[in-house]
Amino acid sequence: MTVEQDCVALDQFPVGMRVLAVDDDQTCLRILESLLHRCQYHVTTTNQAQKALELLRENKNKFDLVISDVDMPDMDGFKLLELVGLEMDLPVIMLSAHSDPKYVMKGVTHGACDYLLKPVRIEELKNIWQHVVRSRFDKNRGSNNGDKKDGSGNNEGVANSDPNNGRANRKRKDQYNEDEDEERDDNDDPSSQKKPRVVWTVELHKKFVAAVNQLGFEKAMPKKILDLMNVEKLTRENVASHLQKFRLYLKRISGNQQAIMANSDLHFLQMSNGLDGFHHRPIPVGSGQFHGGAAAAGMRPFSPNGILGRLNTPSGIGGVRNNLSSPSSGMFLQNPTDLGKFHHVSSLPLNHIDGGNILQGLPMPLEFDQLQTNNNKSIIAGNSMAFPSFPTQQSSLPNNNNHLVLEGHPQASPSAFPGHQINKRLEHWSNAVSSSSSTLPPAQNSNSIIIGHQFDVSPLPHSKPDSLEWNTQNASSSYSIPFFYYDSSQMRQSGNYGPTTDAMLSSNPKEGFIVGQQKLQSGFMGAEAGSLDDIVNSTMKQEQSQGDLSEGDLGYGGFSSLRTCL
Amino acid sequence: MELGQMQKSLQDYTKSLFVEGILDSQFLQLPQLQDESNSDFVSQVVSLFFQDSDRILNDLSLSLDQKVVDFEKVDPYVHQLKGSSSSIGAQRVKNACVVFRSFCEQKNVEACHRCLQQVKQEYYLVKNRLETLFKLEQQIVASGGMISAMDLGF
Repeated sequence: MTVEQDCVALDQFPVGMRVLAVDDDQTCLRILESLLHRCQYHVTTTNQAQKALELLRENKNKFDLVISDVDMPDMDGFKLLELVGLEMDLPVIMLSAHSDPKYVMKGVTHGACDYLLKPVRIEELKNIWQHVVRSRFDKNRGSNNGDKKDGSGNNEGVANSDPNNGRANRKRKDQYNEDEDEERDDNDDPSSQKKPRVVWTVELHKKFVAAVNQLGFEKAMPKKILDLMNVEKLTRENVASHLQKFRLYLKRISGNQQAIMANSDLHFLQMSNGLDGFHHRPIPVGSGQFHGGAAAAGMRPFSPNGILGRLNTPSGIGGVRNNLSSPSSGMFLQNPTDLGKFHHVSSLPLNHIDGGNILQGLPMPLEFDQLQTNNNKSIIAGNSMAFPSFPTQQSSLPNNNNHLVLEGHPQASPSAFPGHQINKRLEHWSNAVSSSSSTLPPAQNSNSIIIGHQFDVSPLPHSKPDSLEWNTQNASSSYSIPFFYYDSSQMRQSGNYGPTTDAMLSSNPKEGFIVGQQKLQSGFMGAEAGSLDDIVNSTMKQEQSQGDLSEGDLGYGGFSSLRTCL
Repeated sequence: MELGQMQKSLQDYTKSLFVEGILDSQFLQLPQLQDESNSDFVSQVVSLFFQDSDRILNDLSLSLDQKVVDFEKVDPYVHQLKGSSSSIGAQRVKNACVVFRSFCEQKNVEACHRCLQQVKQEYYLVKNRLETLFKLEQQIVASGGMISAMDLGF
C-alpha cells in the first residue's frame, strides 16, 4: 500500500518508532517490552500512569505512540488515555485482560485508537505503527495542504482502511472494506491519491448554511445544497461531508443552548477542521455499522495540538477552562453575523459555557475511541472528544466516559427540527449528539453523529496552534480559516445514524447554535480539522453511497462515519 | 545423565505441560523474545510472574478473610492475576481466575473462597512445574548443552 511504502521510506519507520508502555503489572510490562523490542520499536516502560504522564509532558515529541493498560491502581487507564489524547495528541492503544465489549467501547469513546486484549501477541503489535501513520496522515489532511508534516500522510487511502486493527470486528471491517472500495470509486479522485481539500471558509459556509436553510434542514440534501451554493469545484461529496458534520455539530450543541449559539458557525468550522486528528477510516457504507475506520484509528482524542494544546494541557479538562478564556480559542468564527444564524462568539471566551466546554469536546474522543475499535464505529459518541461541544457539560469534560460529552443535553427538544433555523438545528445537533452519546453503543447510529457537532461553523484554522490563536485575532470577520478538508473518500456513511440521529435532532428545537458560544471549544477543533473532515467525509461518503443521506435511517443523522473527530 | 538424554527429558517434560493444559501457546512466545541482548528473558519474566502472583494471592487471601468482603477490591486482584497468567501462558491459572471473577460478580463469598483455593492450587502447580523445567535446563547448560527455543515448545 502506498501508505506503508511511504512509511517505510520515512526513516525506516516503523523501525525505531518510539513507544511508551504503561502497565502496573510487571510481568505483563516486561513481556510487552520484549514484544515491542522484537518489533523493532524503541520502548520506554513505566508501571505508573502518573510517571507516564510526566514523561509525556516533559517532551511531547519524545514518543510516537502510547500503549497503556486499563486497570492501574494509580490512575484509571481511560483517564490516562483522555489526558494523553487531549494534551499530547498521541495515538494511544489500550491494553486489557477485559474482553468485555463495554470496556472496548469505553476505550473507543475515550479516544483510544485501538484496544488490545491480553495476552498480547506479537502479530498484533507488529501493526500498531499504523496508528501513528494514520494520525499523522489525518492531521496532515486536516491542515492546509502541504502544510503539515511529512509525507506519511499523503497517500490516503487504501491503507487507511485496510490495516485496521485486527481486532475490530472482522465483519464490520470486511464490510467496511468493501464499502470503502466502492466508495472510493465514487470519489472524484482515485482514492489512493490525495484529494484536493475543500476549505470551508466562512464565506463558503455561509452559503452552505443559506442553502440548507432554504431547503429546509431536514430536506437538505447534498446535491441540492451544492446546486444552490453554486460554487465551482465544490463536489457533492464535499457538501455531503460538510453537511454531516454540520448536523452532528448541531446536535452536539443543541444540548447547550446558552452561549453556544453565537459561536456556532465558528465552532462548527473549527470543529470540522479539527477533526484532523482522527484518522478516520473511510467509513464503510454499508451496514450501518460504524466505520471502524473512522473511529478507529483516528479517534484519538481530539485534542490536537491546536486547540487542546492551548487549552492547556495540563489538566485537560480543567485546564481547558482556563485556556479557553484566554486565548480565543480559535474556534470560533468571529463573525457572528456573517454566519447568519450562527453566531459565534467573537471573543473567545465564550467558553464560558463552561469552561469545560471546550474540553468537553475533548474528552469526546473517548467515545470515539470506542468507535474506532469497532471499525465501523462511527464517530459516535466520540464527540466527546472532538468537538468542543461545549454543551452542557461544563463541569465535566472528562466525563466522557462513554458519553459523548457533547452536549450535555441528553435531548433537547427534538421535534421541531426541520423547521428550525440553523440555530435550532444546531441545537438539535448537539442534542442528538448528546443523546447519542448516552446511547452510544457502537452499533448505533449515534456514532457518526457526534462528530458532527463539533463543527462549528466557524472555520477552524487547520493547524492546531492556529486555532487557538485564532480567537484572539478574531476580530476580523473574514478570516478564512481553512476549514476542514473533506476527504471525500473518507466519508462514508454508516447508515447507523438513523435512529439516533433523529432522536437527537429532534430534541432540541431551540437551541440554536450553541456553537457560537462554544467558541472556545471550537477553537480546539481547529487543530484537528483534518480529522473532522475525515469524519465528515466518511460520513458523507456513506451518504453518497447510500443515496441521500437524509433518506436514510438516519434521518439527519446519516453520519455514519463518525469518525471520532477528535 | 547424558546430555542427549537430558535434552530429551526436557522436551518430554515441556511437552507434558502443554498436553496437560498447564501451559498454553502463549508460553511459546516467550523464548522467541529471548536473544543475546536479553538472554535471561524467559526466566526473568517467569520470576516476575511468581513475585506478582505471590503477592496477589496473599492480598486476595487477606481480602477474602475480612468479615465483610469488599468485592471491589477482590475483583481487580483477580483481574490482574488473570492478565499476568494469560500473558505468561499459565492457562489453568487463567481459567481458574475467570471462574473466580464470575463468582466475584455474584458476590458469592463462599464460592470465592473455593475459587481462591483453586487458583492457588493451579498456581502452585505451574510454579512447581516451571521451576523443574528451569532446573532441567540448567542441568543441560551446565553439562555443556544448549537449550534452544525449540526445546521449549513443540
